[in-house]
This record gives sequence, structure tokens and C-alpha cells, in this order.
Amino acid sequence: MIRRNIKAGEGKEGFPGARGFYDPEVWAKVTGRARYGIDLALPGMLQGKILRSPHPHALIRNVDLSRARSLPGVRAVLSGTGLGAKPYGIVFDDENPLALDRVRYIGDEVAAVAAVDEQTALEALQMISVEYEPLSAVFDPEEALLKGAVTLHDDFPGNIAWENRINRGEAEAAFKDADLVVEDTYALPSFHPGYIEPISCIAESEKFDGLTLHTALQSPHIVREILAGVLGLSISRVRVISPVMGGGFGGRVYGNLKLYLLAAFLSRAAGAPVKMQLTREEEFTVGRPMVAAMIKMKMALKEDGTFLARQADIITDNGAYSAQAPWVSKTLSERNDSLYHIPSISTRVRLVYTNKVPTGQYRAYGNQLANFACESLIDRAAGKLGMDPLRLRLKNCIGPGDTSVHGLQIKSCALSRCLQDAADAIGWTERKKGRGYGISAAIHAGGSIVFNPDFRGASARARLELDGRVTIVTGEQDYGQGAHGAFALIAARALSRVPGEINIVSRDTILTPFSIGALGMRQTTIGGRAVQLAAEDLLARIRDCAAELAGEEVVPEGGAFRTSSGRLIEPVGIAAFYCAKTSGLALTGEGRYVPEKSDYDQSGYGNIAVTYSFAAHACEVEIDRETGALTVHRFVAVHDSGRIVNLLTARGQVYGGVAQGLGMACSEGYIFEEGRVANPTFSGYRIPTALDLPSIETLFIQTDDPEGPYGAKGLGEIVQVPTPAAVANAVANALGEPVNELPLTAEKISRLLHGWECAD
Amino acid sequence: MDKQVVSFNLNGEAVRVRCDPFSSLLSLLRDRLGLLGTKAGCGRGECGACTVLLDGLAVNACLVPAGKAEGLNVETIENLSRGGSLHPIQEAFVEKGAVQCGFCTPGMVMSAHALLKSDPAPGREEIRKAISGNLCRCSGYVQIEEAIAAAADKLKD
Amino acid sequence: MKYIIAKSLDGALAALQDTGTGRARVVAGATDLFLQEQPDRLIDISRLPELQEVTLEKGLLRVGAAVTHNAASASGLIWEKAAALAEASTLLGSPQIRNIGTLGGNVANAAPAADAAVALAALGAEAVLFDSPGRFYVKPFAGLYAGYNCSRVDSCREILAWFLIRPAGPGQGSAFLRFTARGALSLPLANAAARVTLEKGRLKEVSLVVAPAGPAPSRLKKTEALLLGSNLSGKTWSMAEESASAEVAVRGSALRCSVEYRRRLIGILAGRVLSLAAQRAQRNR
Repeated sequence: MIRRNIKAGEGKEGFPGARGFYDPEVWAKVTGRARYGIDLALPGMLQGKILRSPHPHALIRNVDLSRARSLPGVRAVLSGTGLGAKPYGIVFDDENPLALDRVRYIGDEVAAVAAVDEQTALEALQMISVEYEPLSAVFDPEEALLKGAVTLHDDFPGNIAWENRINRGEAEAAFKDADLVVEDTYALPSFHPGYIEPISCIAESEKFDGLTLHTALQSPHIVREILAGVLGLSISRVRVISPVMGGGFGGRVYGNLKLYLLAAFLSRAAGAPVKMQLTREEEFTVGRPMVAAMIKMKMALKEDGTFLARQADIITDNGAYSAQAPWVSKTLSERNDSLYHIPSISTRVRLVYTNKVPTGQYRAYGNQLANFACESLIDRAAGKLGMDPLRLRLKNCIGPGDTSVHGLQIKSCALSRCLQDAADAIGWTERKKGRGYGISAAIHAGGSIVFNPDFRGASARARLELDGRVTIVTGEQDYGQGAHGAFALIAARALSRVPGEINIVSRDTILTPFSIGALGMRQTTIGGRAVQLAAEDLLARIRDCAAELAGEEVVPEGGAFRTSSGRLIEPVGIAAFYCAKTSGLALTGEGRYVPEKSDYDQSGYGNIAVTYSFAAHACEVEIDRETGALTVHRFVAVHDSGRIVNLLTARGQVYGGVAQGLGMACSEGYIFEEGRVANPTFSGYRIPTALDLPSIETLFIQTDDPEGPYGAKGLGEIVQVPTPAAVANAVANALGEPVNELPLTAEKISRLLHGWECAD
Repeated sequence: MDKQVVSFNLNGEAVRVRCDPFSSLLSLLRDRLGLLGTKAGCGRGECGACTVLLDGLAVNACLVPAGKAEGLNVETIENLSRGGSLHPIQEAFVEKGAVQCGFCTPGMVMSAHALLKSDPAPGREEIRKAISGNLCRCSGYVQIEEAIAAAADKLKD
Repeated sequence: MKYIIAKSLDGALAALQDTGTGRARVVAGATDLFLQEQPDRLIDISRLPELQEVTLEKGLLRVGAAVTHNAASASGLIWEKAAALAEASTLLGSPQIRNIGTLGGNVANAAPAADAAVALAALGAEAVLFDSPGRFYVKPFAGLYAGYNCSRVDSCREILAWFLIRPAGPGQGSAFLRFTARGALSLPLANAAARVTLEKGRLKEVSLVVAPAGPAPSRLKKTEALLLGSNLSGKTWSMAEESASAEVAVRGSALRCSVEYRRRLIGILAGRVLSLAAQRAQRNR
């Protein structure tokens, strides 16, 4: 099954035509002509701004909008009580577009203004007076769980937003019988996706029923449904049009629902289009970072290194409102269990409300957070057993044909090969003195079939145009990860065309089939498979039409058709023939990829995705033993994402994912002071610059997956999953003692090295 | 608000524009002159998305008061692909896969442009330094660095 | 509201004094303008040729306040005569900021850990300020700070024109180091600059400045005194580290680092920067 390795820069470039082709919009982007959300404007457009709570927790006694309303240039001023909106949410309905009687974090939306320009809108905000009655607030999730802690939401006593227990096998017995038990507690802060383009939108509300929202989203169809629900509109009267997206990384799956809702409400009240845009500070203080996590973990092993059981008690910090945090917490608490053979699992996860910025999601859904704990603990076990951490992993790896402890059905899998190749590439057997080495592995689901168990797949349309080109119409989304390019390559392959002859239409909910969107590594796997099927369907129809036109049998030949008498019939001629024959229609193929229904049960056991991708990352680090400064010198990322569609973009995904993972490992993370985000800027929230990254080597082990299009699997999320743990393990190796907290700042490492305590 | 006429050379053409001289060159370019290729990511000089050349030097347009442009040469991304053909730096960005979401790309290209004007054969370290004020969240910078090195070779020929 | 590009120093001073059209303030790079309250007029001195010069005259290195960080970093004369300043200018912020931000602005903004300011303080720079055409006075560097982010250079009344620096002669050298959480676009967790004079392989003069430690770059006089007469051994630098760490008064912040860590870091940087300055002094015969 395993084909061969592709090293970056040599050998195959991916699917036919991949060389020199990767993004139909690249020309527009590189010349500055691509239009992003911040670039959009409509005639008569107003600017919207939001008044936010300065208190982490308070009752709203009164909101006086009268002075703001009388300011010239102001077109609409709204507070929560005037909206008449129902609470909404993604998993549960715990939010209001504007606060009604209570604010729950610094930044909570209290009032909104639309005015002729930004300056006037900002002035109007200052003229709104709000009387607050401050309440005591809780910032630490463990404190929020204590009896007597202040409660954020009356519907959620004890501040538990969501809780889950998973028991598989016989964990308790396994821990009793184990030769070795290792345990530790791991802490990770909130991380922000850190896309460089701040979220913005323009809402055009119609008078009675209707909304057009211009904003870049990874899941526009799903957002459309939520917006229609909260705004009381018919779904088909809500249209979401996405401009080019300045980065997503999970942060734009739902984007900032509150911003869209308020823009829609303001537009409705003002009778004009309203543009709203988050400032960079708002991105950090009211955007939706991923949950912070505290992971208490225990592992049972046999003397020979066989994994017996894992137990985890996980607390995730939800912040004030929930968004996707329950799903993130679920992935976080489970996914790593399927990376190895672990017969028994006992996990409890609690998602806890605190008076801090609400959370959402970020690339890989928390898998990387738990990976840090799991893979660090495996290294500790290896240390106790006196066993090479690589060998311990190889001994327990899951493999092709296996069903994991949670019921995941692994079809293609080159995990052990990833580990071995990563170790070889970093020089595992000839490790230099004075340097630290670490390795970590990961699994990630590609193409979720349980996000909505009844809606598991994707569909696409393919249309033969009059110029002979083929247009693919898809509801899936490109946010720079290369989905459009991949779709063009897949369609081109099915149609024996060059990818440059394929048009991609997406980004508009009235033109495209319903889709779940860019999440759960489903674009290439599920979306791409639908494109393949649509293209194949179209090819069959073109062939039939060619035969009808020719009046004889035809066989495909390089995108055209050869008749039995030897004539060549080009697509242009076929398109014209069909258009005339039908008085205007185009030949259209439909592709529907409907994965088998999952056996997924109430306990969360069962297959959850069509494919599973695997990876191993390894690195070499050096520590300045005086200052504690960490330098990552070399990094190797080996991935099994099936057949690689486009090597150039695949490499780009890995480099970028590793960079984000290194940010988590070394320098990123929210810092709070009494509930206030202390680092709401790009200078305080330190995503890596070009001077912060090591040399990164990428390697792909190409398996042939039976489900993915032409054997391809997902890559976009797994790329950062093993990175933080690989770095942490290398640091632990260099220090000779474990690390259990990210990011690994020089100060933290210095404290570990010199054992000093922090007094403040 | 008091306005002032600011005259400068924009992408090779003389412009005179009445504007708030304390507002940023970025807002002058984007909001008044309609040059949307220069992006806005943070407004504090911390992301580099708004990088333009001021008398040949890379600067953050968000930190330059419009009045400061008086009498100077301002070059934006729009100047690089005049007549529809890509500048060699842009070609190299396309060829090397240096563009993902593309939001940082115009600023990144302008930083590369400034570098290659002053140093036609930069080493990898010089390239990294030159783009260290431009944040990219997609790429891990590797293919951007490859592209700038390739652009230097193209420009030599 | 008017943005005036000054054509001459006298013209700039005249414009500053002409309060008939409202409050005026001097700017150079103007990169921090967006953080500040805006006056009625801004007088941009960044294009005054005499303020962009770096010259060596009458035994003094004269560096214009409108010299940008990148210009300073590219100046062979500054590298040769005041290496600490060139080094500080090379590492600060980002290329974009260094292209427009000036040495004078770095000082007049009075940020506690401004890199160039720390180097200038260690180099014993003096500032030349004009308050009206032809009338200038010279202030020692230490006298330029009034408090956190608050300068004694009154940009509404006077123009900081030059820094005067005693150039490194034989047996003299200087150096600057900073420690950041990221390779670029970061304020330093700590920085340090030193200038030393050697005589017969021993420290004859020592100037050691660190930050952030209080509102202004902080001179560690006890440590300086302690080191006088010491040889250039590892022992000396360890002693410097220990002494600097004990002497410095620091604040911690949730955002950057704790008091304890900053104290350690400043000690380490002090030892390293002194050693580097001494190496340069040794080479400078």
C-alpha cells in the first residue's frame, strides 16, 4: 500500500498538472488585487461599532441611548433590550447578540451604533451611558468549580458548561496490574488562530425578510442557518457571500457571529448596508480563541512497554460563552487515545465557565493540546522504563486495519513509518551532546461523518461551459490552504484536462450546494471526493452527448473524444451542440459523496471520519543554560496524508502548521490579569516571525486511502498537532527533567534549570 | 477637521490630495486613493501587512502620518505589476508556493522589493531579517524565503 | 491641524514658537504618533540635513537626532566609535520601524527600555537641545527623563538636535545586548549596554546601563565601582553578573516576566555585555 516517500523539492509534484499550479486566485493575491473583507464597500454604507463591557461581571441597571441617538450622522443605536432577539449559540444557546441584564466578561457587547463614518460611530459610543452593578467574578476554572463560586449562567449550576465521561475496557484493573504508572498535570493557555486579516463584514438587511452578508467564512452555509434563526428570517432569504479570506485556521468556521448579527440588526434599523470590523485588539479580546486546558493524566504500562490504560481528568476553560468549546473539549479528550493500542481508557472532561473571553476553535480542535500531555507522558514512561521513547511508541502504534479503542476504523496508516523516518531524519541514533531531541506522533480525523450523522458527505456540480472549460461548483471553502487548487487538480484528473481549464465557483450560498465547510480536514477528503464524482459524472454525460453529436461511438482522448471513424470532437463543439439542443442549458454532472453511516453510539464509540491522517514530528533544540532561552535548530515533519494532491501546497501546509505549533510551544498564549487580556496585540501575543523558525524538513509517506479522492487524505489540521509535544520532549530531554506547561518561555525553562521560585 | 494638501509621487505619478495630514498614509492610500492592495492588519506597526516603500525604504504605512509623505516617493504593490505582467518577485512568489491566504503577500513582496533594491544577492539570513517585520500566519515563511532567493536570481539575469 | 516639514533648524524653531496657530509639537519618525494626543501642528524635523549627520569633530562623535535606526546601524563611523549604539539600532523593532524611527525619537519618547537610549546612556552621551534659533544647551543623558514614558525634552518647546559621544579610543570599547521573547517585533525583556576603558589589561573606566529598571535607562554605579581595576577574566564577569543582579531595581509584569527572572536576566546580560565591550576594547589599540 505504501507507495514511496516524496521529499520536498524532488520527485513527483503531486497529481498530474500540479507542477506550477496551485491556486486559481494566486495572481490576484500577489498583485494586491484580491478583495478581502476589509477591502469591501457598498454605496451608502454605514460604519458600525460596538460598546463593550469594562467589567468582567456586572448587572446592567440601565442603558441610556438617547444622547447617542441625537448625534448628527448616527443612523441606528441598539441595546439588548430593544432587539427582541432569542438567545443563540452553536452547541447551546447561552449568548445574546447584545447583553440583556448582565455582562460576563470584559468586552461583552452592550450596545451597537451605526453612523455615517467610523469617527461618528465612535463618538456616539462615548455618549451611551450604562449603569453597571459590578458582581464578583471568577477567572480560574478550578475556582469556578468550587462550591460557592459565583455562577455565570443560571442554566448551568456549578459553572459546568459541558461534561463528559468515557470509559472503555477496564482502566481501574489495568492500573492495579500495571508494572509502571506515570502521571502528571499539564497546563496550556488559550491560543488564538492569529489570522492576519481581522474579521469584518457588511450586512445588507432587507426591510421585511432578507439579508445579504458579505464576510469570509469557512462554513457559510451553516452560519446562514444560525443567522436566519436568530434574526427570524427565512433561510433562503439569507445569502452569505465570502470575499477572499485572510486566513482562517478554524477561527472563521463561524467567524464572529455576534459581529454579523449586530451588523444585520443595525442594517435593518438604519435601512442601509452596515460594515463592521474588529480591531486587532478586539480580535484578541472578544475574538474566539481556543479553550485553555488543565490535563491531569495517568498512564499504566507493562514492563516491556505495552500500553495498558490511560486515565485523564481534564478541565477546559470555556470563558463566558460557549460557541464550539464543547466539541473542542470532546476532540481534545478523545482523539489521542486512538493513536496507539491502549485497551483501557477512563476520561473525565469538564468545560467550565469563567469571566473571560469566550472561546471558539482553532485548527485541530484541541487535539494538539492533549497531544502535548499524552506524548509528554509517554516520554516520561520511557524514561522510567529505561526505554528509547521512539521504540516505546513503535511498540504501541496503531496500524492499517485496526479499530481503535474508541471505534475508529483505520484503513490506511503509516504511523510507524512516520515515526521511524522522523527519527532517521533528525539523526535519532547519533544525537549530539549539548542538544535536546524530541519526537511526537499524531492522529487526526479527516472528513468527519459525525459532525451531523445524517449529513455526512458533500456534493458538487460540474458544468461544461461554452468555451469548453469546466466549472466546478462547490460549497466547500478555500481560505488559503489550497482547496480550490486541489479541486481543480482532482477535476482535471477525472476529465483528463489541465487544471488551468477548470473554473471553481464557491463562496456564495445561493450558487453553491449546501456544505458543512472547511473544518475537520474534510475539504480534500470529502469535498474533493464529491468533485471527483461530479467530474466523472460530467465526463460520462459529455461522452454520451459526443456520441449523439457524432452519430457514432466515441472514446475519450485527452479531454476530447475520438469517433470510431477517427474524427476528434472537442468539448467546445459538444457544449455548443448541447446548448442549442436544449435552448440554453449546459451539460452538468453531479457528484454526491455519501459516506457510509457510522456505527457511532451514545457513548461516543464508533467510526467518526472517512479517513485518518498520521504524522510524526521530531526536533533538535538547544538551551542557553544561563538565561533559559530555547532555540529550535532543526525540525522534521513526516506525514501520512495519503496521496499528495499538490506537493507545493502540501509543503506549505506543513511549514505553516509547524510554525503555528512552534508558536504554541515557545512564545504564544493568552495572558490574563483579573480577567483582562494583558496581551491583545501582535507584539504581546507573539506569533513567530521569520527569525524565530528553525529549518523545517518535510517528508510525505504516501499511502493509498480507499476513501479519499485518488487515495488522498486530509492534511490541513494535523500539521500542527505533534509540534508542541515534540518541542516539549526535546526540551525535557535537554533539561533532564519533564516540562508540563506551555509556552516554554525562557523564564519557565530558567526556573526549571535553577529551581528558583517566583514570588509575585 | 482642518485639511491640508499633501503632494507626493505615488507609483511614479505626481498626486496632490487634500487630507487630514495626521491620519495615516495607510488610510490615505486605501480610503482616499482607493489603492486597496496595501493591507491593514493591526494599525500599530506590528504585522507589516501595510508595508510600502517611502523613498525606497520599507515602512509601515499605518505608522506614517500622511503629511510625512510630502515631496517623497511612495511605492505600493500596485506599482509592481503594471501592464498586467508580474514583477519577478511576484513571479517567484507564485512559482514557489509562497502565497496561501495572500493577506500578508503585498507587504511581504514590498519588503522583498526593498531588500533586493539594496542587496541584489542576499543570503538566507538577510532575507529573514528583511521580512522579520512582516507576519505571516499561513506559511512558516519557508516558501517566502525561497521565493525571495529565486527572485534575486531572476533579477540578476 | 497642520503637518509642517521643516526645511531648516531655525525655521523649525520659529514654527515651534509661533503659537498663534495653535499648539505645536516636534516629531521626527512619528511612529508613535498614533499612541499620543495630537496637537494642532506637527513640525517634522526628520529631513533637516544637519540632524541626519554623523560626524567626528573636535574629538567628539556628533550623531544627529534624526538619524534613523537603520542609518545608525549602517554607519561605519558609529560602529567604530560607538559600537553599542550601532548594535542597539540594529536589533530594535523591525526593519520597517528602523527605517523611519530615529535616535532622537527613541530618547524623547522616554520608553523605559528603548534600545538606542540604553546604548546612549552607557556611552555617556550628551544631548544638544535648541529652544530658539542659535540658542542651545547641552544636557547630560541622565537629565532627559522625567518619569515613565515622560521626557524632560519638551517637544512643544525645544528641539533635540544632536547627541555628543566621546568616541572609543585605544583601549576603549562598547557593546549592547538585548533579550527578547521573539526574534523581531518585540520589546526587550531586558537590555544592557556597557562602555569600558582598559589599562594594562584591567578595567579603568566602566559604564554599565540596564533596562527596564525604573523610568529611565538605569546606570549601575555600584557594580561599575566594584569592577574598577579588575582583570578580564570569567571571574570578573561573574562578579559583574552577581552585583548587577543585586543592585538593579526592577519591576515585573504579567506580560513580560517576573521580578526575579528580570533580575537574573539583567545580571546575565550585564556580565555578557561587559565582556563583549572589553573584547572590543582589547582589539581597539
